[in-house]
Amino acid sequence: MTPERIVVVGASIAGVTAASELRVAGWTGRLTVVSDEAAPPYSRVPLSKGVLAGTHAVETAALAALPDDIELRLGVSATALRLEQRLVELSDGSALPWDGLVIATGARARRIAADGQRGELVVRTLGDAAAIAARAATASSAIVVGGGFLGVEVASTLRGLGLDVVLVARERPLLRLLGRWLADLVAEAGAAAGVRFVVAPDGVALLGDPVTGVRLDDGGTLTADLVVSAAGDLPNIEWAEGSGLEIDGGIVVDDRCRAAPDVVAAGDVVALRTPEGDARRTPHWTNAVGQGRAAASALLDPAAPAFLADHYFWTEEFGLDVKIAGRLPLVGEPEVVRGSLDDRSALLTWRGDGGVVAAVALNHRIPVARLKAMVTA
Amino acid sequence: MHIQVNLPACEGHGLCAQVAPQVYEVDDEGYVRMLVDEVPPGLEAAAAAGARACPVAALRAVP
Repeated sequence: MTPERIVVVGASIAGVTAASELRVAGWTGRLTVVSDEAAPPYSRVPLSKGVLAGTHAVETAALAALPDDIELRLGVSATALRLEQRLVELSDGSALPWDGLVIATGARARRIAADGQRGELVVRTLGDAAAIAARAATASSAIVVGGGFLGVEVASTLRGLGLDVVLVARERPLLRLLGRWLADLVAEAGAAAGVRFVVAPDGVALLGDPVTGVRLDDGGTLTADLVVSAAGDLPNIEWAEGSGLEIDGGIVVDDRCRAAPDVVAAGDVVALRTPEGDARRTPHWTNAVGQGRAAASALLDPAAPAFLADHYFWTEEFGLDVKIAGRLPLVGEPEVVRGSLDDRSALLTWRGDGGVVAAVALNHRIPVARLKAMVTA
Repeated sequence: MHIQVNLPACEGHGLCAQVAPQVYEVDDEGYVRMLVDEVPPGLEAAAAAGARACPVAALRAVP
């Protein structure tokens, strides 16, 4: 049966895409989007770049506005899910009835400060990025904790502002995500830009209250004007615990993004079963868009096509603009298809069993559809 | 509806064309290109959805 009232919990890209897709599909029922943020929907992509640098006003991150026939409730969070009664309870004490529900509550920054320790900086929301931008204007040094995409991009942006930057991570930055070849390329570019990389396999503890530095696993300490944690993210699932939904490091969904009858989920909060039976989140923009669309379709049509993961990622740091189609990490050496590595502008492919397993555009403009089409295995 | 394109901001990720291939395409240089000047009423929802999918917020839907 077609739903009459759909509630979308979460107004980042997955929730916004699901809401948009419901209208694209011609569904005209009552549609409410709930967001715990005060700002209208925005992209998190510029938060580690232009917004953090202070070169781009926060408004430039705003997504194209939702139309008037979508009710947007800002500044309220979901506190409980009642599947039997078909209600979402909200932080303002009200409850929203639904006959179709999209869960897109995303994730939050994982914090490493001790209980009660103040001043830990993270980069997850517009407010987080603006706060760092304001402090960076008068800072001369920064420590970034975390060697994933976010940590490396934040280190790059702060270095670009002229700060002395140390990036501390448990292993060489991006090694596990990208593989040795690309991780080396990024590390070389970072070092050439003047960033110092410190590896602390057992992690660090934040020092000071408010935070002024880190203690390394060998007992050494580092201090800086800014200490930014980029230590991963945690899915926002607590509000749905005890609801009866399967939760395993995220809201577990089937191949059509369905979590329960008339309940779908999309984006960073979603965990998908791997063939090995593990549940894994893949918090990327492309996935959030794909899952948002698939989730909306599944609510309206039980025969909707399955969600097909689109393996496309990108990252920008130290003058390297890296677009990647295919499966990560990349093993071994690439083949240069076009351009040249000396010029730092090239189209690269990695071969594996059965053909090209990944294609990378390095400072090289190409329609992404064409980049994806280069992947044959 | 009209789509405002901030072309210098376009990074060519192609999400717009993926979501609304009737409205957007990506040219050989990896920049967005509009397939329609004025968005016809039947494509407005798709055009707006494609604009919202832009990770660098380079597209604005103007009613």
